[in-house]
Amino acid sequence: MTPEPERTLERPQRPAPPDLDKLLYSAAAGDQGAFAALYDAIAPRAYGLIRRIVRDPALAEEVTQDVMVEVWRTSARFDSKRGTAVGWILAIAHHRAVDRVRAEQAATDRERRTTTASVPFDEVIAEVTARQEQLAVRRCLQALTGIQREAILLAYYGGLTYRDVAERLGAALPTIKTRMRDGLIRLRDCLGVALG
Amino acid sequence: MTDIHTLAGAYALDAIDELERARFDRHLAECPSCAAEVAELTETMAVLSDATAEAPPPGLRAAVLARSAATPQTRLAERRPAVRRPAVRWQRLVAAAAAIIALGGAGAVGYQVASNSAHSHNAPASAESKKIAAVLAAPDARLTSAKVTEGGHVTVIASPSLDEAVAVVARLPSPGLGHAYQLWVISHGTPRSAGVLAAGSTSATELLSGVRGAQAIGVSREPAGGSRTPTQPLVTQLSLT
Repeated sequence: MTPEPERTLERPQRPAPPDLDKLLYSAAAGDQGAFAALYDAIAPRAYGLIRRIVRDPALAEEVTQDVMVEVWRTSARFDSKRGTAVGWILAIAHHRAVDRVRAEQAATDRERRTTTASVPFDEVIAEVTARQEQLAVRRCLQALTGIQREAILLAYYGGLTYRDVAERLGAALPTIKTRMRDGLIRLRDCLGVALG
Repeated sequence: MTDIHTLAGAYALDAIDELERARFDRHLAECPSCAAEVAELTETMAVLSDATAEAPPPGLRAAVLARSAATPQTRLAERRPAVRRPAVRWQRLVAAAAAIIALGGAGAVGYQVASNSAHSHNAPASAESKKIAAVLAAPDARLTSAKVTEGGHVTVIASPSLDEAVAVVARLPSPGLGHAYQLWVISHGTPRSAGVLAAGSTSATELLSGVRGAQAIGVSREPAGGSRTPTQPLVTQLSLT
């Protein structure tokens, strides 16, 4: 028999600042109060990311809701040895948002075969680069080569596959694949992201 | 190391199609160093999300908590539905209770009921919160939940002994200009109004009285302010029996 989660109906006291890994583990044990605190801590980042990708605020709200319910439902899969709660949740958010954008894009393409990608990704890229309040992130993004930075940001915020990115940038497929990887590695090292 | 390894970046960015993703997932299962690299690259992009953070729409929190309360969680180990079944229902009930109390406590939902509804709204919210807590804690409380075809969920926790129920309406489609959702307690085929949501509102938590002996709770779309009897087919109906 596994022990049942605490049967208290009172809201647990919220730690400040909240330890998101701990909250996610508590949520996985069925603790709705912890999940509510987790929502408060992560929803702005999840919603902001999703809105950049899907563009439409109403659609972003819908996708964010689906993402957070999925976080609740599958929270037992989270393992802090393999990453942080923030990374885990935002990966789900990103994946869902990209799925939606591609599904909508496919529907639009079926309607009219003209695939003039008119979405101004450049705006998003400019915004993401400029709005980085942490100097480190801005500095690290600027330390990438132009093609590394564009490939990463186009894919991440535009929901594009590396094939789409290659087409847009007029570069060869293997080049884009490689630039995405070495650009991300450089960004990781510059930001000092390390797990375990 | 094969060429497939160069996909680690594209994979971390979700910049591959589903077929490649499935292939790379298989690769990751056999290549711990690749899995570690992908994990770190995913974390790296998460760091950027601070810059794009923005306040989510105000109704989203309540909708997420209500829906998650009605969503059973995936357990990693043992999958034995026959054994799990009673526990799941109990867990969902407690989860729902916690969520609804969290909502009431945070004042995120509020009790948006028009003045013509059955129960008193002059009472302070805390009194209603206490009643809601009592329903959720009642030993005979039963939870039923229904997905609405057009979108959204309705969850009802009913306690015959207290003669009260709590209804959580989450993310229904917009009722349209000048319209509102109305809740009904249905006894012997006769619907009695149990409250009207604020015009245009798509999510709410409601305390319903007089549910003992009732067979169902229904939700319909009505002109703002509500109707005496449902003027349109019910959007959804949840059986209490």
